[in-house]
Amino acid sequence: MSDITYGRVATFNTHPDASIPKESPLSVAYNTGSVPAATSDSRVLFKEQAFLGHLILRGGAIVLDEAVRKVLGISLPGQPLGLALDETGERSVQWLSPDEWLVIVPGGEELDVEQRLRDALGDAHYAIVDVSGGQTLVSLEGEKARELLMKSTSYDVHPSNFPVGKAVSVVFGKSSLILRRPSEERYELVLRRSFADYLYRWILDAGAEYGIGVQR
Amino acid sequence: MSQSNQPNRLRQGGRIDRARTLSFTFNGKRYQGHAGDTLASALLANGVDLVNRSFKYSRPRGIVAAGAEEPNALVQLGSTEAAQVPNVRATQQALFEGLTAQSTNGWPNVQRDVMSLVGKLGGRFMPPGFYYKTFMAPASMWMTYEKYIRKGAGLGRSPMENDPDSYDHLNQHCELLVVGAGPAGLAAALTAARAGARVILCDEQEEMGGSLLASRELLDDQPAAQWAEQVISELAENDNVTLLPRTTANGYHDHNFVTLHERRTEHLGEAAPTVDGYRLTRSRMHRVRAGQVLLATGAHERPLVYGNNDVPGNLVAGAVSTYIRRYGVVPGNKLVLSVSNDHAYRAALDWDEAGRDVVAIVDARRHPDGELVEQARARGIRIIEGSAVLEAKGDKRVSGARVATIDAAAFKVTGQAELLECDTIASSGGYSPVIHLASHTGARPTWDEEILGFVPSLVKGVHAAGSARGVHDLAEGLADGAAKATEALAALGKSASAIEPPRAETIREGEACALYQVPHEKPTLRAPKQFVDMQNDVTAAAIELATREGFESIEHVKRYTAMGFGTDQGKLGNINGMAIAARCLGRSIPEVGTTVFRPNYTPVTFGAIVGRHCRELFDPERYTALHQWHVENGAEFEDVGQWKRPWYFPRKVNGKLETMDEAVARESLAVRTGVGILDATTLGKIDIQGPDAREFLGRVYTNKWAKLAPGRVRYGLMCKDDGMLMDDGTTSCLGENHFLMTTTTGGAAGVMEWLELWHQTEWPELQVYFTSVTDHWATMTVTGPDARKLLSEVTDIDLDKESFKFMDWRNGKVADVPARVFRISFTGELAYEINVQANYAMHVWKTLFEHGKKYDLTPYGTETMHVLRAEKGLIIAGQDTDGSVTPEDLGMFWAIGYDKPFSWIGKRALTRPDTARKDRKQFVGLKPVDPKVVLEEGAHIVVDKDQPIPMDMLGHVTSSYYSPNLESGFALAVIKGGRDRMGEKLYVPMPDGQAHEVEVVSPVFIDPKGERQHV
Repeated sequence: MSDITYGRVATFNTHPDASIPKESPLSVAYNTGSVPAATSDSRVLFKEQAFLGHLILRGGAIVLDEAVRKVLGISLPGQPLGLALDETGERSVQWLSPDEWLVIVPGGEELDVEQRLRDALGDAHYAIVDVSGGQTLVSLEGEKARELLMKSTSYDVHPSNFPVGKAVSVVFGKSSLILRRPSEERYELVLRRSFADYLYRWILDAGAEYGIGVQR
Repeated sequence: MSQSNQPNRLRQGGRIDRARTLSFTFNGKRYQGHAGDTLASALLANGVDLVNRSFKYSRPRGIVAAGAEEPNALVQLGSTEAAQVPNVRATQQALFEGLTAQSTNGWPNVQRDVMSLVGKLGGRFMPPGFYYKTFMAPASMWMTYEKYIRKGAGLGRSPMENDPDSYDHLNQHCELLVVGAGPAGLAAALTAARAGARVILCDEQEEMGGSLLASRELLDDQPAAQWAEQVISELAENDNVTLLPRTTANGYHDHNFVTLHERRTEHLGEAAPTVDGYRLTRSRMHRVRAGQVLLATGAHERPLVYGNNDVPGNLVAGAVSTYIRRYGVVPGNKLVLSVSNDHAYRAALDWDEAGRDVVAIVDARRHPDGELVEQARARGIRIIEGSAVLEAKGDKRVSGARVATIDAAAFKVTGQAELLECDTIASSGGYSPVIHLASHTGARPTWDEEILGFVPSLVKGVHAAGSARGVHDLAEGLADGAAKATEALAALGKSASAIEPPRAETIREGEACALYQVPHEKPTLRAPKQFVDMQNDVTAAAIELATREGFESIEHVKRYTAMGFGTDQGKLGNINGMAIAARCLGRSIPEVGTTVFRPNYTPVTFGAIVGRHCRELFDPERYTALHQWHVENGAEFEDVGQWKRPWYFPRKVNGKLETMDEAVARESLAVRTGVGILDATTLGKIDIQGPDAREFLGRVYTNKWAKLAPGRVRYGLMCKDDGMLMDDGTTSCLGENHFLMTTTTGGAAGVMEWLELWHQTEWPELQVYFTSVTDHWATMTVTGPDARKLLSEVTDIDLDKESFKFMDWRNGKVADVPARVFRISFTGELAYEINVQANYAMHVWKTLFEHGKKYDLTPYGTETMHVLRAEKGLIIAGQDTDGSVTPEDLGMFWAIGYDKPFSWIGKRALTRPDTARKDRKQFVGLKPVDPKVVLEEGAHIVVDKDQPIPMDMLGHVTSSYYSPNLESGFALAVIKGGRDRMGEKLYVPMPDGQAHEVEVVSPVFIDPKGERQHV
């Protein structure tokens, strides 16, 4: 049985044996679209970090903060649009709305993290939902990454408005995604699976001017 | 160097590069110009007087101005069909090697024009409203007339081939957007930049600097253009400053959202060049959100309105200076200058310095005495005081000017006219601030008697500086730009100190006089045509006639005469037109007021508006995790919202691809007799957790949820508060406090918002959270009599019909992948909906097909899904319902829990007398008497097919298909009192006159007891 009932909520281990093939939301794009190689002239680099664990946390900040610190070693971002990472940079918690956070952890950790959070949270009112199959993380780097974003979103991505440690849900082309700034030199994009192909096409088109390269 | 080919080109001077000669073609003839020329300056250099024919009268027209306000020199660009660009102002088009242009008007050509005959003969018979009055009756013929009028008159044409270029958008943000890089704009941008603000400076010209590029004045004892260059290079080095030359601010929208159009490659050639393997976008729309906006848009000089003022060789005075000083081009030999102010004297001084003959300056003022006037006198230029040019002589080029003393206030010619021989008449009636962008806000400009012009009214966050608000003096304009920038930044809470403007000599100017239309010996209606708006061929007489015909509002005058229409937007003529209307109505200009300027300031190509939102990026396409398999297996796709869903999977039969009907028949039979599979991933899925989740479900669904146990699934109906069905779907109990709701594909986002809305606004005390998991799970429906056999081969779940019943769900592994399997059915057959994490979906799907081969597992699409569910009378919310259908109308009494303890959404509405009416439209089935008939969806249903129109309509067909299982057409419908009409024969009349006879039957056509899905 894959479900483990936690009190009155069912958790679910989605993963089969590692031998079972899996496809990221960008597989159609990779298989059927253009995949320009990165060169020394590429002024934007596109790299997917596929198959990570994505969890949506719902609940009040006060309720969640202690458990998140205990399980992930990260404090909940204190400000709206905040993004907090652990020391390795592999685990992060991001503010999505006043009672909603996105947790991203290395792939396969998500069920363990969920269960440890549930253990820590006890009877509190909260929700944890695994959405790992529904989205994927992409990083954009390079001197023209910001200009590519300016072509794509009406959100102000100037460093004065979008510093390291900020994350925001934005309109992107005619779709939407989550835009994050984990470090000076890198932007992260969280794409929804069903929109991933459109967004990939959009990003490649916008990046053509800068010789965008896709690292696989 | 080919000076000899360019008779009007000066040996030196100007900002052109004489070392770089460029060839271009105009109306089929080759010419040469230089890098730095506009098409207009190059044409003038070559002595090309005639550039167009006028819109209505087909009169010969020449270049009048040097910027965006040019009304005549509209050209059609392009040497190939695909490269055609209509209505380009030659004054704004940079010259490039090989440029090919044609006059926009003039057929068969600009020299011999057929329509000019109409213009000449019909001229006085073509009053304002001529086309309306002549051709509008009968109204049905207008389209026919219009085709020929357009061919004759024309205003450019669009290309008939695809545009090879592309366009894009860039979102920009800044603290201060400065529009215009003339003296005020540069001073403002520099002030803001030095204060560390994020600044965007845009300017529509090829080169930034505005009036400084052609100025006579020195700044800090050096040519003004040099100061401009220094400022621009300082700004260019500042990381916080974005400089956008060749960029027109075309629209000011709400909240300081300004659209700028940057012409990125139009100065380089006909098609965008390729750089490093990338073809540049031809133009780019910058979507600027500015903290504050500073308009330093300068002013347009007003020409005077006199007889035949449109004959080639009539220019505005400032344009003469610009052509001489910036382009090294003198557009004639003998100049008569007619002015109302000192500023315009510069044109005569520049002309004189260029070594050509200034015949006279005709000044409407009795005793002009400013410094520039003295300079002209000192050079021995003849100044005729108290006078104006009444009328230009000449046909295709000015040959003389009739000049006389006038009484401007009394609108009378007071002296004997003198004919001055000349080839050029330049005029100036003052300067109109360019207030277009400020007007886009809806703020009405106000008349300033001091400067004889409208100045902008400014909404919050918008500032104007320099000439744009009537501060025309150079030194004052520079200081004004700096001061307004500090004000704008102060509004953002940022302190800045104004830059020390460069030292400018102050030239004492005498007072200008108000002169718009010059009086003529003959009354306006009989005098030679005095043009106000040259692009639309609106004359002073037309305006006078309009006022006589009772058009008193300036907005009506505009529409009756077409003044300020088209690409021109009244830049040159509007103020003169208003002044003439004021004179005719005996009112003041502020009493008459001004019309509204609208975006865009200059024409914008559609490409720039569309940007990259075209072709495969036109609209997002949402794919399921199985999309690639569908493509590879020949699916035809249907758009469901933004999703691409397989519609049907045509197979090749005897070398021929099946039609949709054939494919659907095969797929339908496969599901009823064997096993089929559907990608149902697009269904909305919402994870619901919390101790009050069950209570919440009870309030948003019409039916009961109190007793649904973990492991069970229930179908639910969701109503809006008006009691009408909004969405439906199944919800499964995953744990006591945990549910998984499904919604329709199209309703997913709406339902999610609906749940959040009610939770956040009405029942915040309920402890429950909703999270969309639509994209996380991939859903595959395996259905048909062989479904169990197939699934049992690949799952560890016990599929025994006693332990895993209809409307149960279980988890386990399918194809070695953890899965939740739901035994629900939208086909009426045995069915399992398999949910797996989407990344593993393709593996599971392919494994099912490997095992399914022996059962001829048949993939089916939405069309077959529709047929199968309709055979079972299962509704599709949004197809069989339309926002006016209640659950009772659908006959779903079993899904309404009137006795639930807490009221639910829609309950109160369902207890109204109206929703209890017996004659409401009710959901039924229809069986055509002729089984071959497939009714049209949407068709109306009547009792008496012979009743005269309008017939009494009972209802309409909501779904209709051919059923290979029934071997008959069948339909679902809503009919007034339908449930009491079972067995009745009704008619469905068609537009071709026949009426299909139908029998009202139960909406469940197959397996009414539901035995098949329970096997």
